[in-house]
Amino acid sequence: MLDAFVQGLVIVLQWQTFLIMLLGIFLGFWVGLLPGLGGSTTLALMLPFIYKMTPVEAFAFLLGMHSVVSTTGDITSVLFGVPGEGTTAATILDGHAMAKRGEAGRALGAALMSSLVGAVVGSFALALAIPVVRPLVLTFGAPELFMLAIVGIAFISSLSGEGGRGLLRGFLAGLLGLMIALVGQDPQAGVQRFTFSQLYLWGGLDLVPVLVGLFAIPEIIDLAIRGTSIAGELPKGSLAKGAWDGVKDTFRHFWLTIRCSLVGTFIGIMPGLGGGVAQWIAYGHAVQSAHDAKERTGFGKGDVRGVLGPGAANNSKEGGALIPTVAFGVPGSSAMAILLGAFFLQGIAPGPDMLDKHLTLTFSMVWTMVIANIITVVLSFFFLNQLAKLTVVRGTVLIPFVLFLAFIGSYTSNNHIGDLLVFLVFGVLGYLMIRASWPRAPLVLGFVLGKIAENNFYISTIRYGGSWMLRPVVLILIVLSVVVVLYPLIRLRKGSDVSETVA
Amino acid sequence: MRAVLSTRFLMAFIVAIAAVYALYSSLTWPFRTALFPRVIGFPLLVLSIVEMLLCVTNVEGDRVGHAVDFEMTTDVDPAVALKRTFAICSWILGFLALILGIGFTLAVPLFVFLYLRLAGKEGWALTLSLTILAWLTMEGLFNRLLHLPFPQGWLFSLLA
Repeated sequence: MLDAFVQGLVIVLQWQTFLIMLLGIFLGFWVGLLPGLGGSTTLALMLPFIYKMTPVEAFAFLLGMHSVVSTTGDITSVLFGVPGEGTTAATILDGHAMAKRGEAGRALGAALMSSLVGAVVGSFALALAIPVVRPLVLTFGAPELFMLAIVGIAFISSLSGEGGRGLLRGFLAGLLGLMIALVGQDPQAGVQRFTFSQLYLWGGLDLVPVLVGLFAIPEIIDLAIRGTSIAGELPKGSLAKGAWDGVKDTFRHFWLTIRCSLVGTFIGIMPGLGGGVAQWIAYGHAVQSAHDAKERTGFGKGDVRGVLGPGAANNSKEGGALIPTVAFGVPGSSAMAILLGAFFLQGIAPGPDMLDKHLTLTFSMVWTMVIANIITVVLSFFFLNQLAKLTVVRGTVLIPFVLFLAFIGSYTSNNHIGDLLVFLVFGVLGYLMIRASWPRAPLVLGFVLGKIAENNFYISTIRYGGSWMLRPVVLILIVLSVVVVLYPLIRLRKGSDVSETVA
Repeated sequence: MRAVLSTRFLMAFIVAIAAVYALYSSLTWPFRTALFPRVIGFPLLVLSIVEMLLCVTNVEGDRVGHAVDFEMTTDVDPAVALKRTFAICSWILGFLALILGIGFTLAVPLFVFLYLRLAGKEGWALTLSLTILAWLTMEGLFNRLLHLPFPQGWLFSLLA
């Protein structure tokens, strides 16, 4: 096994494979930066180019490209408040807030370094978990996956606001997200729901225009209202040394970064949950790491932990998602489903052979993800402080370009004019939510998990009747979701008792 | 009255209406199709009504129930902020109208030019160079390199 591990590194470092990986990294770098150009779409577009490559070269190319998309997607999210990728939206909440405070360099440094840590943790989880992951995946059937979705929404909803009213609005946002996810054809009977007789809505709403609208429009309006640059009126030179602080932040909150990486890996392993979920659960965990309610109010306003959590998770989930793909041929996300196609194009069947006959190839994937992220992060650091200076460009110069990227990003998800309308509708919703102090994170998580939750709820009910709720893991998850909901209320009660006693 | 007209009340009201619509629509669906929307719709309706009632009966401070999310700036005079909000919303809608009317390829450089000159009051040199940059990105990257299928716009469709 150790031989295969070392051999995996050696074959990735062979000059031809290495050059092909660099080409993939270059493509992934730009795909991540541009909103709307998704990693999955690019993977699909690049599949025809791997026909003449060897399996090692093909996976070095595809994984090299795919594994850096989330890393550079964070850069767009931090600088402009527009998600570079669907998987990097959570970074906006605190990363862009830091940019507005003049700490763009620090936020970018933290996002990139945590991404690297996440990628390394995810990759080595892949290496270590393959022999032991089978029982874990088999334990999680439809009832457990449904409850996992509920725990996720309960978790982020309960942490997204202050006090009882904040909790109420968090749950309202989460439920609204679940409801919005139901737009389109019902997956069981094919009945149209909330489609208003529009063909465009039959397939449901696409994540990209929804996310870009929710996050970009309020930021653009705020930038126009302020009439300044993103970073406001800052003294010259204050941006120049932030990136290194962000790196130090990663190590200052090292265990949080590791925990969020593990959260991302775990969610990556679970088939169907994907990166859209991992970042928000990790964000919720980062918020939970606040010691008290007062400290928690800093989240959403530029707490670096809100950058580290999602930054780590959206990269570590790639390693996690590869585990069921490689070991059982069960893709953990849409990108992995496309990657599965690459296995077949190369004449390789995922499964036990990947742990035996093709073990060197499996380890070469691990090394590709690690090396690709190291190269991307190191290269990015050369430009970070220059990129950070974009936040002192006048708002009137930036706004037309951010709007251009937002419109193009939304349109390219389906190449349909309807995407532009969805972008605007969700822009209005995002603006209203901000004005009404409703958190957007639970809405996004509810939206991402809605279809997964419904499918698994339906399968559970049909397959097991009501008894699915008595399965051991389900019971644990029910208790966990109740605790997640009640804990902030108990803590609030304790807090008010203490203040009454002091008074 | 002020509580009823607040954005918080309005938001809860919109969501309550959406929940009622969802539940009403689900009445005509088969049980399988309607099950999950009802499971979601009932608590959504109840919680949004609770939020509406709290908005009306319980006057809360600005910081109460504050979300873990970004907040709009409060440093600008509300009247100026409102004026700027309307202005930027008009520009956004205008950009959409341009895209629909003359297609992405022309709308993007035209919008960049108009915004920089009229809203930004930028000089000719910067305006023209950024307009050319926008056109090059649109034409070079999205049209020529990525071959994205942009519609030509309603105006050109009518003329064709």
